[in-house]
Amino acid sequence: MTRRAMYTPLRTLGVLVAVTLVAAGCAGSSAHVRIEPGFPTVVAQPREIHAAVVFQQPFRDFVAQTDAKTSIDIGAAQVELLGNAFRGLFSRVDIVSAREQLAPGTELVIIPSVREVQLSSPSESYLNVFEVWIKYALEIETGEGVPIDTWFLPAYGKTQDSMLTSRSEGIEEAAIVALRDAGAKLLLDFYRIPAIHGWFERERQTG
Amino acid sequence: MKRNLLRIIGASVVLGGCASTTTIDEFRPTTERMDLDADEKIVVLGRRDAGHYETDRSFVSCIGDEIDSSTITVMPEQEFIDALYPWFEPRTAPKGLKRLQRLMERPMIRDKVAAERIRYLVWLDGEIETDGHAGSMSCAIGPGGGGCFGFSSWDKTAFFEAIVWDLEDLTEKARIRVDSEGTSYLIGVVAPIPLLTPVRSEACEGMGEQLKSYFTREVS
Repeated sequence: MTRRAMYTPLRTLGVLVAVTLVAAGCAGSSAHVRIEPGFPTVVAQPREIHAAVVFQQPFRDFVAQTDAKTSIDIGAAQVELLGNAFRGLFSRVDIVSAREQLAPGTELVIIPSVREVQLSSPSESYLNVFEVWIKYALEIETGEGVPIDTWFLPAYGKTQDSMLTSRSEGIEEAAIVALRDAGAKLLLDFYRIPAIHGWFERERQTG
Repeated sequence: MKRNLLRIIGASVVLGGCASTTTIDEFRPTTERMDLDADEKIVVLGRRDAGHYETDRSFVSCIGDEIDSSTITVMPEQEFIDALYPWFEPRTAPKGLKRLQRLMERPMIRDKVAAERIRYLVWLDGEIETDGHAGSMSCAIGPGGGGCFGFSSWDKTAFFEAIVWDLEDLTEKARIRVDSEGTSYLIGVVAPIPLLTPVRSEACEGMGEQLKSYFTREVS
């Protein structure tokens, strides 16, 4: 066998290996993303209410499994973000892990939970963006445990053109935008919830 | 000699084809320059509320870089959005002056803007569109090597609008629109040779220079 004859199959093999690696890298895209805390505090004028926010352990540790290969750990980030947002709504906010830890004089109790997290990636939507939807449920009660309302808080985030963005980076960016959107909607709409508005007015009148 | 001339003509034709045409329109109620106190800043923000597109962040930072100089300080977009969270998020950002005026009635927001020393807000809105694809190119790879052959071209159009708001008297100070268009080419002669039209950089440069000329720093 001449040197040239050996060289050609080796090069073909090299090309095949390279093509296989590239194809495998594109097809088997899994992502396990953790959103780190680091959200800004809010600019808002809180109302004179003593509230407690119950971040239960499952909420603190929440990891969204959007499909078999993708998970988004938003637990620590959402605790920080919603904690900041509630501090913009109420003059005193106690962050606790269980209802039993409520301080005396608590007027309002809020227990958030994640109902659903959805992800849309370019490979599914054929759009060049990543999108994340988060749906929260806020159980709102008085300090005595009387239910006021269950408010659903939907949030949405998307990336810009993600042509050169990795799957992990795209999901992270879209999730951060969605979390920020949740904080914005909470601050904007909380006192517009009819049941909350009614409760607040009653509290104000009774002094 | 003849060959060199042909090369020069060929290069000129190709490069000439890649050039872009940029038009800038402006509207200002007055030609007076906009004053900035010694420590006052400008912030350039991209519109993000549209469902189908949002202003390219790289274009927003490009405009910021064009305006930023030894005499004019531009606050980074994300720093401003974080400092005033959540009032400049896609859901909450004021789309018009009336909404801005209502926002600035809130003492917390007004105080924060004052503390950050932000005087002018430049809203950017627009996008770059690609259309008019023509030609074709095919690439192949085999044991003996590979290569691309063919010719492809496409048109790019950039249109951006900048609106300048004064956060002190809550009025609109200027409005600029820039349109830039050009054609990009991809020539496949074994290796693909891209000849890209600089619509983005031309639009950025044109708009940035125009905006910069509006501002003047007061010497204390």
